Amino acid sequence: MSFRLQIIIAIATAIAFFYIGNKVRTRVIELKYALVWFLLAIVLLIMDLAPNLMEQAAHLMGVTLPINMLTLLGFGFVLIILYSFTLVLTNENRRTKRLTQEVALLNKRLEILEEKLAEAGIEVESPISGTADPRPQHDIEI
Amino acid sequence: MTKRLIIIPAYNEAGNIIRTVEDIRENAKSFDYVIVNDCSDDDTMRICEKMGYNCLNLPIRSGIGAAVQAGYLYAKRYGYECAIQIDGDGQHDVTFLEEMADELEKGKVQMVIGSRFIEKQGYQSSIWRRMGISWFTFWIFLLTGARITDPTSGMRMVGRDVINFFAEEYPKDYPEPETAVTLLQLGYAIGEIPVRMKQRKSGESSISPGRAIYYMTKVTIACLMARLGYKRFFVPYKEIQ
Repeated sequence: MSFRLQIIIAIATAIAFFYIGNKVRTRVIELKYALVWFLLAIVLLIMDLAPNLMEQAAHLMGVTLPINMLTLLGFGFVLIILYSFTLVLTNENRRTKRLTQEVALLNKRLEILEEKLAEAGIEVESPISGTADPRPQHDIEI
Repeated sequence: MTKRLIIIPAYNEAGNIIRTVEDIRENAKSFDYVIVNDCSDDDTMRICEKMGYNCLNLPIRSGIGAAVQAGYLYAKRYGYECAIQIDGDGQHDVTFLEEMADELEKGKVQMVIGSRFIEKQGYQSSIWRRMGISWFTFWIFLLTGARITDPTSGMRMVGRDVINFFAEEYPKDYPEPETAVTLLQLGYAIGEIPVRMKQRKSGESSISPGRAIYYMTKVTIACLMARLGYKRFFVPYKEIQ
């Protein structure tokens, strides 16, 4: 691996590292999900700056070109990151779904309560149904 | 008299919803109904409000599976002993519901499917769809040994145990064949009753030709997964008091 390529990879990795670090600092990315990116950057940097280590690893795994070792490692990491995202996504999906359903059911309960209160002659001033709909309202005829 | 509920998932069904609800009020008098409006873009919500229909409004579009599950959650919370899903597009003939409920209340089966293919009357759907349906009949038979003539029928009535189960676990989309396998796996029995279905009157079908491949693949794998018992590994949500 040429010295030039080593420098390029080191700079790119460092930039990515600090970019994500800054995103975490400004709370754009949750640290929990950034950790795996940091790990990837650090491993890439170590491999890049210690060519001997990489050559040995490449030799051990039967990879002919040391640079391919780097690619393989990077790709493996990306797969792990993607997998973790799939897990998170699935979980989030389930949670959002249940929240949505609970909100709908709560609104229904409120509606029933309001009706009962109105029957008892108690007025409640709170916009529950309809007014929460942000879409433009058209006049409809039934 | 048992408490019976009809769940009507509605996404952009403004053109159908009134007909559907009035049909229920007229022809399925022993049933309560709840519309689950999945954040429709059209006037579904406002029509329901104006007409004073019993309606749940999901604040975020969550898909047909989540909408129907909200209905089952409603059925569970309000103590219904029998629930059925009816499509908001007027495809399903509600005059069969009493018969289905009677069959369910005999207690021999925990799910009653309204099947188009026992007496082969009414709208039989296209040849391609029938081929797909035959595949699922065969696939479910292979997986569970049960013969279900119309595994993709949306008319499925369930009792309290299954309501409770569906409130916890319900597939995201295209649930029919998969839930049949799941219920059989859990030791519930499924019965079928001949029904007639109509062609839908307005709105789009949820399965366009382009989605057919996704549908077949997803549902085939889902049935297999259900047979392998992956439901076991799910963690149920904590019930809110």
